[in-house]
Amino acid sequence: MNKDILLGFLHFILIAAFQVFILNGMHFVGYINPLIYVWFILMLPTNTPKWAVLLLSFSMGFVVDMFSGYIGLHCAVLTFIGFIRPLFISVFFSGKEIESNLRPSIAEMGLSNFLPYLAILVFIHHFLYFTFEIFSFAEIFKTLFRIVLSSISTILVILLFDFLFFKQKK
Amino acid sequence: MRNLIRFLKRYYYIFLFILLEGFAIYIISQNSYYQGSAITSIANETAGSISNRTQNISHYFTLGSSNEALVKENAMLRGMIESSYVKYQHKAFQHNDTIYKQQFEYIDAKVIQKTINKRNNYFILNKGLLHGARANMGVISPDGIVGVIINVSQNFSLVMSVLHQDSRPNIKNSRTKISGTLVWEGGNYSAGKLVDIPSSIPLKIGDTIITSGFSQDFPEGISVGKITSFDKDKGTGFYIVDIKFSVDYNKLEYVYIVKNFFKQEHEKLTKDIKNE
Repeated sequence: MNKDILLGFLHFILIAAFQVFILNGMHFVGYINPLIYVWFILMLPTNTPKWAVLLLSFSMGFVVDMFSGYIGLHCAVLTFIGFIRPLFISVFFSGKEIESNLRPSIAEMGLSNFLPYLAILVFIHHFLYFTFEIFSFAEIFKTLFRIVLSSISTILVILLFDFLFFKQKK
Repeated sequence: MRNLIRFLKRYYYIFLFILLEGFAIYIISQNSYYQGSAITSIANETAGSISNRTQNISHYFTLGSSNEALVKENAMLRGMIESSYVKYQHKAFQHNDTIYKQQFEYIDAKVIQKTINKRNNYFILNKGLLHGARANMGVISPDGIVGVIINVSQNFSLVMSVLHQDSRPNIKNSRTKISGTLVWEGGNYSAGKLVDIPSSIPLKIGDTIITSGFSQDFPEGISVGKITSFDKDKGTGFYIVDIKFSVDYNKLEYVYIVKNFFKQEHEKLTKDIKNE
């Protein structure tokens, strides 16, 4: 358990730093803005208490907010993701798997299960994020374009990192 | 009582969610109603001091180009100082210091944190209240317009970039003197749009766009960009103009905060107009 907390703390710092200092400063094509900090919430072990998931989503959102100028936006959206996560966990994992504290990843779930889990939550997150960021119907097609492109880029980056940093079972 | 505790135990999770979500939404509302809310300025200060350290590392990579920009500006300024002029008119006024009154003062600052890939982008500068920065001051770089300060803490300030949907600085065409508004529609950070330019006056591709000096945030004549293409909007009688920004916001590093000594006076004078 202690190891999990320490590891979680490390993930928190690394992912937040990567998001804030590297991805936020990057610029591809103009519409693509990968928001990989969602990954931190998605990959918390299945047995993590619900209150901890909520508090962690709130704090991760707040930290990312602090560095992007407009406080509250990442925070509100990520807290919502933290709130609906248990629902998805119960859909994608059996009761026994939840008990054994799996970490949602390609290694534990297989790509065919992990990808839908990741894609749905990332899409919900990006949909809310970009809708609230722009908050106007005037640019609706542009917004949809941003949502789709950014979701795809986020999913690809997370899959790549998951593949690189977590040991794959044979 | 036991029922109540059981009830709370069962649904605490939903309460906690509502509490946190409510708090986040409260912060957002604070942001949009009061520029310069306390929470933003505390967060700003913390993020600023961390970014300051990381910036110390990353700014080595852009030293070359920033140096070039500064040297270019130095050369231009050197051309403007008194010693580079020969006096032709010896009948000039003796006490010309009473003729001119300084309107603008510049505070140099460094960009320590920035975003350019969002719909609404911000910068954090390493100068704050202690150095004389205040909310609503304009920010320019050697290459041109950058943004407006919206929040200041002790040591840092938060700048709303021109790459923001609420940023609508007043600009004019340096050749025809016709003024309009600069907007940014997201996407490419090096291209902006001009609106409110009447289509009765012909434009040329390559026309230089500068700040108009109507808004008190920026001095007149700060470079904004060059026209890359334009089109008449048949319905409204205005042009839709695409421009390329003169500033590369991705490489932005050294900037100046513009302090306007006449701003208060100007605001006092125009306050009544807005109230009507």
